[in-house]
Amino acid sequence: MNRRDLISGRHLGWALAGAMLAMGVGGLPAMAQDKPLVIARNMDINSLDPHRGFCDTCQIYFSAAYDTLVGLGPDNKTLTPKVASSWTVNENQTVFTFKLDPKAKFSDGTAIEAKDVKWSLERLKNLKGSPAFLMDGVKSIEAPDAQTIVISMDAPNSEFLGMVAAPYMGVINSKVAAANGAAAGADAATADKAEAWFLANSAGSGPFTLASYRADDELRVKRNGAYWRTAPALSEVVIKQTKDAVAQAQMLQSGAADIAMQVDGETAKTIKGGDVVVNTIPSYNYVYVALSPGAKSNTVKLTPEVREAIAAALDYKGLIEFTVGDAGRPQPSPIPNGFPGSDNLPEPKQDLARAKDLLAKAGLDKGFEIDARFPNMNVYGVDLSQMMQKVQQDLAKVNIKAKLQPLTFTVWREQVSGDGIPLTAVFYAPDYYGSAQYVQYFAMIQGGPWAKRAGAANAPDIINPREGDLLKQALAAPADQQNKLYRDLALEMIKDKIIIPVVSPDMIMAHGKAIKGVRYSACCNLPLDEISRN
Amino acid sequence: MLRYLVRRLVTMPLLLLGIVTIAFALSNLTKGDPLISIIGERQMDNPEIVAAAKARWGLDRPLPERYLRYVGNLVQGDLGISLRTKQPVAKDLMTRLPATLELVLAAMVVGVGGGILLGVIAARYRNRAADHAARFVALIGSALPVFWSGLLLLFVFSVLLGWLPGPGRLDARLTPPPGVTGFYTIDALLAGDFTTFRLALTHLILPACVLGWAVMGIISRLVRSSMLDVLAQDYILAARAKGASGPRVLVNHALRNAMIPTLTIIGFSFAYLITGAVLTETIFSWPGIGSYTVDAARSLDYPAIMGVTIVGGSAFLLTNLVTDIAYAVVDPRVKLG
Repeated sequence: MNRRDLISGRHLGWALAGAMLAMGVGGLPAMAQDKPLVIARNMDINSLDPHRGFCDTCQIYFSAAYDTLVGLGPDNKTLTPKVASSWTVNENQTVFTFKLDPKAKFSDGTAIEAKDVKWSLERLKNLKGSPAFLMDGVKSIEAPDAQTIVISMDAPNSEFLGMVAAPYMGVINSKVAAANGAAAGADAATADKAEAWFLANSAGSGPFTLASYRADDELRVKRNGAYWRTAPALSEVVIKQTKDAVAQAQMLQSGAADIAMQVDGETAKTIKGGDVVVNTIPSYNYVYVALSPGAKSNTVKLTPEVREAIAAALDYKGLIEFTVGDAGRPQPSPIPNGFPGSDNLPEPKQDLARAKDLLAKAGLDKGFEIDARFPNMNVYGVDLSQMMQKVQQDLAKVNIKAKLQPLTFTVWREQVSGDGIPLTAVFYAPDYYGSAQYVQYFAMIQGGPWAKRAGAANAPDIINPREGDLLKQALAAPADQQNKLYRDLALEMIKDKIIIPVVSPDMIMAHGKAIKGVRYSACCNLPLDEISRN
Repeated sequence: MLRYLVRRLVTMPLLLLGIVTIAFALSNLTKGDPLISIIGERQMDNPEIVAAAKARWGLDRPLPERYLRYVGNLVQGDLGISLRTKQPVAKDLMTRLPATLELVLAAMVVGVGGGILLGVIAARYRNRAADHAARFVALIGSALPVFWSGLLLLFVFSVLLGWLPGPGRLDARLTPPPGVTGFYTIDALLAGDFTTFRLALTHLILPACVLGWAVMGIISRLVRSSMLDVLAQDYILAARAKGASGPRVLVNHALRNAMIPTLTIIGFSFAYLITGAVLTETIFSWPGIGSYTVDAARSLDYPAIMGVTIVGGSAFLLTNLVTDIAYAVVDPRVKLG
């Protein structure tokens, strides 16, 4: 190396520029018309086994690779035929009979028979994986002939058909899976050894099959050449791990991705250029604050009046504006907007005078301190830390001092189920279309998850017996009566003031102008088979 | 030297066992339940699902039994199965390690090469425009947070100018080259696929510059300071008096001696870059060890945390050894023993 080499930064710059030009870094080689569709998203995959995995990206993959008995139409309400061409339900909603489509076949060309469906649903139940709860209450699964499947329930369950549309209910090619270690018997939880196999293979009848998967990097599916329904337009789809919303937007703008799925409202505003379309879609996801009257660290008793005062102190409009700008909407009850029972509910409003009045009646006009612990995370574009700072400000106006403490998700989970957390914040997204899941999860029903977290053991008066009765009625009711019953349930849950929804953030789907058919599905997140490229 | 080497290599497994024991205790005594990453938050209220998951992953066993089982498996080269990815940790690490090493080595070239160059220029032209410019570049590199400079450079060079590709090791529409070394650039060359080589190289430029820039600042300041000390020594004057050319004095006499303290920093830089890769990997969607570590820690994925700790600990011990040996090679006055 001589002196000139050492000091000539200018030459170095030119050399670098020359090398870059020589390499042609400005563009990629021409791609075929049916080039792979790239989706930039933060993958949260915890398994590619449809009976073990449970995540948003899992919903996309499972619904692409594994057809279910019934599907959910574009209106996110109507059930559509898939593997089952027709179905009947007995009068008291306890026996569900499905007739399989004789044309239905797996990706290896073999016909789907009732034994495959029986095997798949029994595996889902016996594996005791994350989505096994979907089989709660299933008494028996019978296959009287090759084209008929009969599912009997312990108790009426008018939502079971909606649950069958959940992607975790996908039908697996039992012969192929069993040959690779899968088990469906009563001992499946210990006998099944197929999870690793499912990371590299699929055995379904969906429009796509698994091409490859590299954890934390990419999931690649290719068109199922033997698909028995309308073949998807795209030959290959790649879900590319992109954690950061800004990076997702940049990938979209630079052409490296075709769809960016988790862009938040603020980032969406920065997306420029005529080749990109940004769609804001109301979602069924929401973020809520929750109160636990039975939490050990409560400094005062969180009576119904105090809970109502806290709810009345919150500036809902301001919270939405503060967290997601204009890309979100208020949600009155734990049943999300658009689900049965959510019509015409009273919108939550800030009423500081009422909040102060209620606190005064409770002898707390001088205020009190409350522990506010929450997961330190950004979910659906909402930064929970920021949101809780605004909650803190709102509560301060009625002399309630919220002591904020962000936690890792695992620690939060341990605390909320342990000694309880007086005031917390978290999120929810549906697993299928149906309101019962929200009632079962959020209502103050004995043994319900949030009834436990709210401290029903220490504060038994939070249990609302009417909710249990209404739920039973709703699950046994014919379709035309369900809406009213779920609305009554929503009103009861509003009255509970344990779960206080703050915002239902819109889903922002940003994609290239040439990409068509991008839509949000309540069961399946993003149906890949409906997407095409102009 | 040989005896020294043997002694260090013999003590290394004992040190590693200590690291394993401490890491196992810390990760298992941390608050939180790793089951969430296996069965999801909502199923944690279902005792049947929780019990099945605990039994499957051995989390129902007492801690000492789990420790002994872990060490027993470790001796046989089994790092366990990741609770999060559901794949063997060894396989996860083997997949991600080359990605991180490729990035870190490229960043070392940028950081060390650039740092030495800037340091020499700054020392040679002390208090002149070139010195100020070199120090400014170094200062910016040290001061800017990686997540900010990464996003900024991505926006400028990828989105605005379109000169360089966006995040990722390769365009998602392409299939990676057949894995031999796991380094996309080398594997593409081995496969004779120059298009993929070119694309892999261009994908490497931005993250390597972002990651290397921070190290460049540290090294250039150290080189400058060492060079100024050395340039003031009598033997430099003597070399000049004997008629040695300017560049010869600068490189052969001054730089070689100024490199001794720098070598320590270069050794530590490697470890720094490995750990510093976390943010860079996140911003650039680079599927390496850094992002794997963060995800493992967040989900309390014990086997993965342990695997990363063992690999990191081994790398640190080896780097220290190599640095010590390099001292002796560069400076004959240093005696190992």
